[in-house]
Amino acid sequence: MGVILDGLVLGLQLALLSVGIVFVYGLGGVLNLAHGQVAVAGGLVAALLVQARQHPAVAGLVGVLAAGLLALGMDRTLLQPAYRRRGEERLLLALILTLGASFALDGFYTFRYPNLALSLRLAKPSVEVLGITVRTASLAVGALSLATFGLLLAFLKGTRLGKAIRCVIQNEAGAWLCGVDVDRARTVTLFLSGLLAGVAAVGQGFFSFLGPDMGPEFTILSLIVAVVGGVRSLTGTFLASLLLGVVNAALSYWVGTYLTWIALLAVAVATLLVRPEGLLAYWP
Amino acid sequence: MSTGWARRVFPVAAAAVVLAAVPLAVGGSPYQMRLATLMLVLGCYAVAFNLLFGHTNQLFLCVGALASLGGYASVLLVRDLKLPAVLAVGLATVAAAAAGGFLSYVGVRRGFGVLFVGIVTLAVSLMMHNLLLGLRELTNGETGIVTRGFGVGLGDDPRRAYYVLWAVLVTSLGGYRWLFGSPHGMALHALSEDEVSAELSGIDVTRYKVACATAASGLIGLVGALYADLNGFISPSVYAVGHVDIPVLVALLLGGVRTLLGPVVGAALFSVVDELVRPFGQLTVLAYGALLVVLFLLFRQGVVPLVEQLAARGRGSAAEGARLSAPPASKEGVAGGTGR
Amino acid sequence: MLEVQDLWAGYGDVAVVRGVSLRVAEGEATAVLGPNGAGKTTLFRALVGLVRPRRGSVRFEGRSLEGLRPHQVVRQGIAYVAAERELFPQLTVLENLELGAYARPDGLRERLAAVFDLFPRLAERKSQRAGTLSGGEQQMLAIARALMGRPKLLLLDEPSTGLAPRLVAELYRRLDLLRHQGVTILLAEQQVGAALSLCSRVYVLKNGSLAFEGDSSELRGSSHLHSAYLGGS
Repeated sequence: MGVILDGLVLGLQLALLSVGIVFVYGLGGVLNLAHGQVAVAGGLVAALLVQARQHPAVAGLVGVLAAGLLALGMDRTLLQPAYRRRGEERLLLALILTLGASFALDGFYTFRYPNLALSLRLAKPSVEVLGITVRTASLAVGALSLATFGLLLAFLKGTRLGKAIRCVIQNEAGAWLCGVDVDRARTVTLFLSGLLAGVAAVGQGFFSFLGPDMGPEFTILSLIVAVVGGVRSLTGTFLASLLLGVVNAALSYWVGTYLTWIALLAVAVATLLVRPEGLLAYWP
Repeated sequence: MSTGWARRVFPVAAAAVVLAAVPLAVGGSPYQMRLATLMLVLGCYAVAFNLLFGHTNQLFLCVGALASLGGYASVLLVRDLKLPAVLAVGLATVAAAAAGGFLSYVGVRRGFGVLFVGIVTLAVSLMMHNLLLGLRELTNGETGIVTRGFGVGLGDDPRRAYYVLWAVLVTSLGGYRWLFGSPHGMALHALSEDEVSAELSGIDVTRYKVACATAASGLIGLVGALYADLNGFISPSVYAVGHVDIPVLVALLLGGVRTLLGPVVGAALFSVVDELVRPFGQLTVLAYGALLVVLFLLFRQGVVPLVEQLAARGRGSAAEGARLSAPPASKEGVAGGTGR
Repeated sequence: MLEVQDLWAGYGDVAVVRGVSLRVAEGEATAVLGPNGAGKTTLFRALVGLVRPRRGSVRFEGRSLEGLRPHQVVRQGIAYVAAERELFPQLTVLENLELGAYARPDGLRERLAAVFDLFPRLAERKSQRAGTLSGGEQQMLAIARALMGRPKLLLLDEPSTGLAPRLVAELYRRLDLLRHQGVTILLAEQQVGAALSLCSRVYVLKNGSLAFEGDSSELRGSSHLHSAYLGGS
């Protein structure tokens, strides 16, 4: 039972990453292959601050912000050439550029901070909830993720900018014609995706630990989840994340790491074969 | 008539001669011979990938996985089933070809787009990687297998290794040249522009895509098997995405997609850069990233088309120029678009 | 109100609009006619900023629109109803309309009422998803949404596309009503008849350049339209 909960929490972490990627794809028409590295940036900044004896909460917050700023920076510089093009050309150019950026960042992290890791420990390792022993870390991370999603939802539904973002996802030209500054919406979206990634990284620090080389793993996982969930659907991605999180946790518990990976990927590929559009094809 | 044929064969022949001369230039240095051979290996992978991604829009991010299939299959067939090495390599090649063809067939029938195929094949790559790690009794997991004695003896003779790979590369280039000089070339060109229109013009898109994927995958598997032999050692990380697929992608883009010599030129450039950057250790990866971004922004079409343009300008006529490339692609793709 | 001088625009290496000049006076309804491929849509897209003009100038109320992004052009008081309509299919009619007022959210209620008054059919379908509306209803929604931004100039690209003749007549009646309410109209049409009934001035585009400009009364009975559509000198 605790395993299922762990799986859900893992799923929420995944969701933070994948929703960010889908967001950016829906709005900007680009897939950020350096997404994992953006997350790691947040974790590393937090780790540095913790090393410098800052309070973990402060470190975490600054880390999240740093990740957001990195993503923002990428939008304003690296992705501009891609934005000047349309459709498939934009996507492919962005893939190459962000791929290059992912290498550069990865290389930088492992070169400069090879031994740095984010690892946050809570006072009580586990807690009894409804008769089940759960790790406090799971609860904390779960709560953190849910809170983040809650904030995101409030932003999207409640604010003017949030509404603008939602409509750009559906029809970019239509949004321009309604007077929406699509470029600005795009930049904000990238910033948000960075923040989400940062939260995921900090959460990972609570859960186990975050190392400087975890970027590619994060990126690949979030990509696969995003595609399974339906690249244009935030809810679908969210559900797919939870599903794959639970599957992952359950399998890890019973079989070895490798088999878990294989099974997970097989589930992903099978879902895609059956429903190529993803679980939920459209924005709800 | 004969001049047309000679003109078409010229680039392949020229490349063959230049590449054949490399071992002489390099002298006896085993290290440099190995580098040169690795360059040929990358070149072959790139030729295959050119056919897959450049010409038929199939973003197969499983080059490493297919190569690993070829490598492990050939080694294990000799080690455990005691088959003769040449037969084992042949079977491994067929296995890889079948796998690639299958993936292609599924993708085409289900109507997968480029991105989709990319992600699905990436997932397949990871599955393969983990499979190899997991089947420890068979593959020795991450520790790997020493392949001496399980191949055709390429590991012992650097010169022989080089020329065998040379033969494979030149043959593939020749095959490419022939393919695009034949009526199939027109069909493939149409297909890469617009699959729907091609289909409606009576071109069996499925057949072409699957055939190309099968041939390309077979080539990858073959080279993967030969690599296992000449490297003397294989492990899952040797064929990992970062070690195979990424360099192949970079090499092809660098050299020029949808060109004859692009893969070769790209592989050569990449290998040189790889060597130059090696002393920097961990910074290598950073350098790659930066290089990729800069090069791609500056040389959108790749080196070969750039050289062509310069040559044509120098010669004064735009239409002529040594035809180093397949039929001109006006596609608004990665290799330079109309900036719509 | 709108002054276009020697405008050149296109895609890639191809120039679609070649040196077009036109003027739209305030309160007028002007038509741009021409066959498929004449460049009408590209012209409109260039006016709004969805396509960057190569050469020439566009001035609205005396101010140059050069270099403005589409959302800025819209905020100047120009609304554009594209031939593809560009609605938000997953959102309801009401939500689409509300988004039309995104740039100027004040007075939302009154404008909604006015728009529903003009297009009662939309009021009935308020909570329906835009993607499920019929062609005619989508066209009305597109125009209504454009009106929510309280535009001074309304650009319509082939509004009669896909509409039955009866609906076309109804649509043009409403456009006339709008003109009387003070909205300047510039529209592009393939169907000549309805456009001429509404518009006082006419431009005819052929292969990217102007083949005729003048009052619609002049156009009737002249050979220009004939040659623009069917070729010949």
